[in-house]
Parts: sequence; C-alpha cells; structure tokens
Amino acid sequence: MKAVVRLESKSRGWPDPWQFVVVAICTLILCSCRSAPQQSCSSDATPARGGVSATSFAGAAAVSRAAPAAAPSQGAALAAMNPNEAVVAASATEPVLANDPAIASDEQSVESRTDLPCPDQGVPPPYQAQSPWSPPGLERPWPTDEYLRDGGDKGLPVAVTKNSEVLGLEMEDTVAKFETVDGHRMVEPSNKVHIYSPRFGAVRQVVGVMSNEERQKATGVHEPVRVETPEKLQIVAGAKQNFQPVHGVGASPAVAFRTKQGDGALSGSIGPRGFQDRFKTYENLSIIRQGLIEGSDMAMLARGSNAAIAWSNTESVHVVLDHQSAAAEVKYDQSMLLYTVSSPPGKPRLQLVKVASTAFAKPGEEVDFTLRFDNVGTETIGNIVLLDSLNTRLEYVPDTAQCSVDAQFSTQPNEGDSVVLRCELTNPLEPGQGGIVRFRCRVR
Amino acid sequence: MFLLGWLGAAASLFAQQPPVHYLHHGVMPPGAIGSQQLQRGGPLSGYYQPVEIKAPSGALVSLAVANQFDEPQAAPRKAGFLIAGVYRLRVTNIRLDEGAEVFPTIEIIDRLYTPIGQERRFAIPIELTEDDLKLALGGKFVTRVIYLEDPENALPVKEDLQTQNWFEAVPGQDPLAVADSLGRPVAILRMGGRLPDSAEAANASFFFGSPPFVPLAADPATFPPTKESSSPSGVLSAPPDKPADIPPASRRHSANEGRRS
Repeated sequence: MKAVVRLESKSRGWPDPWQFVVVAICTLILCSCRSAPQQSCSSDATPARGGVSATSFAGAAAVSRAAPAAAPSQGAALAAMNPNEAVVAASATEPVLANDPAIASDEQSVESRTDLPCPDQGVPPPYQAQSPWSPPGLERPWPTDEYLRDGGDKGLPVAVTKNSEVLGLEMEDTVAKFETVDGHRMVEPSNKVHIYSPRFGAVRQVVGVMSNEERQKATGVHEPVRVETPEKLQIVAGAKQNFQPVHGVGASPAVAFRTKQGDGALSGSIGPRGFQDRFKTYENLSIIRQGLIEGSDMAMLARGSNAAIAWSNTESVHVVLDHQSAAAEVKYDQSMLLYTVSSPPGKPRLQLVKVASTAFAKPGEEVDFTLRFDNVGTETIGNIVLLDSLNTRLEYVPDTAQCSVDAQFSTQPNEGDSVVLRCELTNPLEPGQGGIVRFRCRVR
Repeated sequence: MFLLGWLGAAASLFAQQPPVHYLHHGVMPPGAIGSQQLQRGGPLSGYYQPVEIKAPSGALVSLAVANQFDEPQAAPRKAGFLIAGVYRLRVTNIRLDEGAEVFPTIEIIDRLYTPIGQERRFAIPIELTEDDLKLALGGKFVTRVIYLEDPENALPVKEDLQTQNWFEAVPGQDPLAVADSLGRPVAILRMGGRLPDSAEAANASFFFGSPPFVPLAADPATFPPTKESSSPSGVLSAPPDKPADIPPASRRHSANEGRRS
C-alpha cells in the first residue's frame, strides 16, 4: 500500500519537459505510421511511358484486370489473314482480345473508365477491351513514338527578319514565306503529315560465367640441392660479338584520318526540272489539283493523316488561312463541310497543304511528299519561298524535286543530319494562282 | 516551440521521398518483367504481338509447341507472341557450327499499336546475329533488349536494312535501363550462359510452359522499289543472305557439346 502511494506521488511529480518529450515521441510515432497512398483508378497524376521506364513503375497502380473475354480472338484474326495458319495453343485456355483498343475511336468509354472503383473498394471490374486505353498520365496521343511527323510549325514560330533571314525553322517544320505588295513579310505553315514508321534498336550485354574458375596454389616445398663437388671453371676461349641493330623498327603512325564535314556552307543547288507525271494517285484531290477544297476529298485527305487522328483530333489536318478561323477542316468522324472566309480587299493570303504518298513506311522505303500552294488572297504576293526542314529520319532523294511553276531548288543541312529543302518561286503569284511542289524522301 | 520545431524537422525528413528507381532489371528471370507489365492493366493481356525472328543465312529456327520443338524452318520466321510469354527457341545449322544448338528465349514485354491491317507488316524484329550465337556457343550469356526508338531523339543514321542499330551495355550496366533511355523496350532476347542437360531439356519448365503463339507467314520475296513507284507494298523483303566472308570459328562443337540455352 505504501509502495502504491509512493508511486502515485512520484508520477504526479514528473517534470513538465518529460511530458512534452513523451507527447512528441507519440506524435512522431503516429505521424510515421502513414497509410498507403490512395491510388485512384482514374488518376492521371503518374507520369508513365509504355515501356519499363522508372516513372511508370514508380507510381503505377497495380490493379490486376482479368483478361478480356470478348470474341473473336485477335489470334484468330491474325490467323484469318492466312487461312492456312492456325493458333498453336499448348495451353487449355486461349486469351482473347476483341478489338484493338488503341485504335478504337469510342470516346465515351474513356469517361466511363474514369468511374472505375478503386481496388480497395472491392473487386475491380474486368478490363473493358472496347475502350481506348492510354497509360496513366499520358494524354490520348498514344503512342506517339511509333509515328514519324513532318510539316507544320513545331516549337517556336518561324519568323522572317528584315534581312529575309528565317528564324525558328526547326526540324519537321514546313512553311512558306512571302512578301506582300506593301513589303510585309509573312509566314504560313503547312499541315502536319504523319507516317506510321516505327524503328527499332537493341541494347546488348554480354556477360561470362566465372563461378567455376578456381586457382590452385602450389603445395610442394622447394628444396635446393647444394653442389657437393666444385667444378673446374674453364676460361672462355672465344667471345661472340653481338651486332647492334642497324635499323629501328617503329610503328608507322596513321597517316590518314577520316573527317566529317560539318554543316558550314554546304549547300547544293538543283536546277529546275520539268514537272513530270502531272498528278499521282495520292494527289487525286481537288485541293491538290485545283487548290479548291471539296467535301469529297475529305475522306482521302483524312486517310492521309490517319495517324494524326489516331491520337488526337486536334492534330488532324487543318487548313488555316492567315491564322483566321479554319478555311477547311478535316475531321475523322464526320463528313466535312466547306468553310469559306470572306476576306476584305487587299488581304494577302497563302494556303499551303502537304500530303504524303503513304501513311505507312518501313525504313528503306521511299515516300513522296506533295506541297500545294495557292494564293487565296486578293492581292499579288511575291518572293515566295517554301521551306521544308526534313525530319531526322527522312532523307531527301537527290534530283527528285519538281515544281509546276518556275522555281529554284536548293538544299542545306539542318541540325538533324538531314536537309532543309528550299524552293524559291521565280515569279509572284496572282490571286487565284497556285502550284505544286513534289519531292521524294527515303525513310531512315 | 521545441515540439513544433521537432515535428517540423520530422515532417521534412519524411517528405524526402526516395529517388525514382527502376523496379525492373535486365537480370530478372524470364517472364518476370512481362508478368508485371500485365499487372499494370491495359490492352496487353491476350494480345498476340507479331514478331519476326531473323537469323543468319542457313540457320534453322524451331519454336516450342507442347514442350517439343516444331519442325526447323529457315529464318526469318514470323509469329504472334503473347505479352509476358517466354518462348523457347532452338537454333541449329549455324554457319561453321552446324552440329551445335542454341536455345534462346524471347520475352515480349510491350506491344505495338499498329494501324489495323498493318500488324503483320510491322512486326517486332528479333535478330539472332551470328556474333551473338557464337558468343552463346562460347559460354557467354547474351541479353538483347529490343526497344522502339523515340522519334524525337532518333539517331540521324541510315539504318542498315540487314541489321538494326544496337548498342553495347558494359557489364554492370543495366541493359533495360539503357534501352529505356533510348526508347520503349518491347522485347528481351536471352541466350547462352549454360548447358542444359538432357533431363532438363525434356522438362516442361525448360519450355516455360510452351505458351501459345500464332504462326504467321514470312514476307514473300519482294522486289526493290522502282523509281517511278514508291508503293510500300512489297518494298521491304526478308533480309538477303549475308556475305560469306565471315571469319571461321576457332573451334567446332559437337552436337552434345554445343547445346546452349
């Protein structure tokens, strides 16, 4: 009983700083017991890539989804391309995938996917194979790394100084600069062209197995034997004279070095050539042949830029007249209308449209590009120069540039070890006039 | 004040998150990376990614079907492989090592999103180079991480249509991390390193369960593009035979000696 009384009296006698220390430790312990962060199924905060990047795995929600159970199977679809082929299935169950969700164009399912419950709220629903999918943290442009882009005005806008120096022309840019009657210098970019052209590389690592190697030490004892009987030394009667080397043999240094010439003032001038094959198959568009935008061409034009539409409708081909509202706009999901712009007199405008001969190309194949330019304004424009800074993976095929009007072609190296194709029109363009520039590139 | 200062220091200590690190490494066992890729969700599960297996001229490639190798066929071979599946191959009739066998594995860890109708044409190329096969026969373990190049940082080089661009990762460097810095890793090729004995070669685990695949016909023989037409159809063909100026191997392998996994 006495001990209890002493204990109580001692507990009452704790100094105040100890109480603060105890409270601080408890608070610290409670703060350190953090719960796992809530992973929202619809969260896009985690930057991720399609591969095995660090960022993708750092915060990716490990939500297991069942294999899609829609039919028909993609394996059967692949096999259907060749009727003699069949799925070789060693296992009992064959996973199937109905449609390629990345190519599906149903946008409603994206929003429905954001309503998926979190894993801690119960069993997650099976993966909806019909919905377009993109990695968390990435927008719908997916996957951009499989496409080759050229055209438009990427990054800083292209500008022309008073000395006619072009600034801001980066790789993939395709613009036209021209001068108005009153001396103004204007720049008009083209639309973007997208070509599906994935290129692969590899990283190799070679390692050897060293686990079975073992070094053995000598276990014997070296015991020298002494000479018991001295031998009689004989005087050397003859001596050999060593001949000194007369010539020294030395390694010859390298006398030739391979050098790579930088950009410098390298430029090639291509003489004017006749415009052959007036129109090719992929150029059978009204906007290319006549410079007029017709609704019937929209499907063809949309197919040429199918890659762009695959990831974003905003990336689709837009024909913009002097940065005003779209004169003609190509949409993927609906039939197109023709928009016209009522321009006041004296308004200089240039329309620049770029198309490619194919939407798919493998390295080594050649792609034809066609630029259609038209003076859609109401006054004459002159000093028209078309500039196309080719992508790193596009190599200009020499002597393939053609122009339907008198022009002077030249090339100049750009920063991507490709070239800037320059087409300078000799004569000014009257309102309503236009032309076609065509050139060929090889995909690297 | 003392308590508030302490708590502030503790909070700042806990706020220091560890740096971003790679959860996957190239030394992980076959199938581990692909399996974790499937757990991330997305349209990976059940998708047969077309793959084109290339090998030196004359080499024969067999795929595993029901824990057995099918009939050897001349490369290139095309097939649709599942993501995260580990596919065991058998490469025979290697130049100057005709009696030797190499048993590489291919693991697909990501897929392509090819436009409809172009899946077979744009297959992931898996190259079994003669150099790699020789290294595998010499007891080395070769890891090749195939990645999709980032077009924003593409190398300004003309790709040799016979062989793809590749880099060497020095020992101690993670080839998966190197490939991730260059693009998007999509497949891993492993070969060499050890000798599977006869009992192991007959085991089902040696074939990793023989996952199903879709055999696809290789590209037919095509013609070089003409100057007038740049139609993509049939421009690229199977890689032609390599020149015969390959240096001879230092030794020859018997059938039993040259079995490498």
